[in-house]
Amino acid sequence: MNQPLHSPFVPEETYQLYLAGLLANNRQQCRASFEQWLEANNGLRSLYEDLVQRSLYEIGDLWERGRISVATEHLATAISESLLNLAYPRLFAQPRLGKSAVVTCAVNEYHQIGAKMVADFFELNGWRGYFLGANTQVQKVQELVAEKRPNVVALSVASLFGMDALVHAATEIRAAFPEVPVLVGGQGFLWGGRAQVEHLPGVRYLTSLGELESWIKEGEIHV
Amino acid sequence: MFDGIAIAEVMRTYVLESAPVLALYLDANYRVAGANAQARRVLRDNALGRPLAEQIVDFSHSLDLPWLIRQGDTVHRLMLSTASGIPETLGFRFFPLPVGVLALASLDLQEQQELCEEVLGLNRELNDLTRQLHQANAELRELNQLKNQFLGMAAHDLRSPVGLIINYSEFVLDEAGEKLSAEHREFLRISLAAATGMKQLIESFLDLSVIESGQLRLELAPARVPEILAGVEKMARLIAAKKKITLQFDRADNERRLQVDMPQLRQVLLNLIGNAVQHSVPGQRVWVSSRWEHQNLVFAVRDEGPGIAPEDQAKLFKAFGRAGTKKTAGERSVGLGLAIARKVVEAHGGRIWVESTPGQGATFLFTIPVQEQPAQPIAQ
Repeated sequence: MNQPLHSPFVPEETYQLYLAGLLANNRQQCRASFEQWLEANNGLRSLYEDLVQRSLYEIGDLWERGRISVATEHLATAISESLLNLAYPRLFAQPRLGKSAVVTCAVNEYHQIGAKMVADFFELNGWRGYFLGANTQVQKVQELVAEKRPNVVALSVASLFGMDALVHAATEIRAAFPEVPVLVGGQGFLWGGRAQVEHLPGVRYLTSLGELESWIKEGEIHV
Repeated sequence: MFDGIAIAEVMRTYVLESAPVLALYLDANYRVAGANAQARRVLRDNALGRPLAEQIVDFSHSLDLPWLIRQGDTVHRLMLSTASGIPETLGFRFFPLPVGVLALASLDLQEQQELCEEVLGLNRELNDLTRQLHQANAELRELNQLKNQFLGMAAHDLRSPVGLIINYSEFVLDEAGEKLSAEHREFLRISLAAATGMKQLIESFLDLSVIESGQLRLELAPARVPEILAGVEKMARLIAAKKKITLQFDRADNERRLQVDMPQLRQVLLNLIGNAVQHSVPGQRVWVSSRWEHQNLVFAVRDEGPGIAPEDQAKLFKAFGRAGTKKTAGERSVGLGLAIARKVVEAHGGRIWVESTPGQGATFLFTIPVQEQPAQPIAQ
């Protein structure tokens, strides 16, 4: 089943309704917006970028500025992550290209939804995106890489505090699997950390889901 | 300026009665002698007058309330029995009075926070597992497609050589049979029977791989019940006559037309009749009937065989899901016929099932709805 990748953007009205639902921790309101979009057979890419990602960025911004509590932020993330399940029957029905990626968060990184969306974006583009979840030990990543032999490993970091763990994980994975490139990204890089990864051979920093998609479409295996 | 009495009044009225804090007055024997509004709302109805220790959930059985009270201004996390029936963990502080004790208890925010984190963590794990499940399902679908391709290719490539073996075996038996010894003729007949069984198996595999890969398209055409059964009856009577089984046809008596793929539907009927005959012994009867029910035509094939155990009935329509009953004359079966029949019936928009009591025969039924729709590919 082919999904239209470049469908119309999510209407502002739908987005505002969804965002209001997240801020009020009203799961049903969010679900209604989400399902409405899915049932109209609109593109999943817009759903991920223009609804889920945009709203989570806005929620994160509100939290940083002290406008909402951490509890509201956590529940908004939990609601968003649960709603992604509704997209999976379509997401995993994309035609396969025979390539795969292992996607994970570094150790002590508990903000996993960004990484999960990266894994989903690989699926959306015909790759298998194996997602290992939050707070993943490097050894566990290496075990999955040995088992799945992916074309790439992607690591996500949501805060600057997790940067050292991410650099450590990237270095260890590259040492164990020199043929496997490593992609890094996430909100953590907004406050720095780019210099820490740029000199690492075989490691590339990507700024957005759009840049990731370009990387996937170009078939660029070497970093 | 407030004097001491006024401050005490404010404390009593507004703090003790309105604040989200449970305030309990314990008498000299540590019984609950008084409670503020918040405490009365939370505590069980019979709390007043009973020792507080009896109202604390203490799994370790080591609660020493007088000792806790003597510890002074320290917060003690205790689980209190509540009116809701669900114990509530509260932070207790005890203030000894000249007579009795004042106990103040508030919700344990740390526990609330821990619980919230725990629930969010469980939610994350559940979401991750759901994703893994969807991914595993997608991978299984891919593997199933590969299996179907392999099955189709293997069956296709095997069919020709097996056909040659059958043809040449028949040719040798026909042309040179007289020149062979009786033993050699028997060898050839065994080879021929085995090859024929193999060909049947291969053709079933091919049918199944075509159906499961979604490549089978029904070619629907209007047909009346007598036309459908007429194409089946001759072959069915041959099958039944070989085992001396009496076959009885009972047709729905009207001229309504159905949209069916005639060859596929006849194959389903022949399959069911063949099964019924195989499970019958000479002298028994098999009935083939049809009747209208609402917007469906219901076909039924009934036999007087050994019947099918309830635990076997559910698996009958799955590939290789044979029942425990044996064919009465040792007939061979690969266990694909009913799986194929089910796919064909479902592609017509109908359903197939069996009704049977062990020892009292079995009736296989399937429905074909009246519809005027174009041919549909079979969903995987």
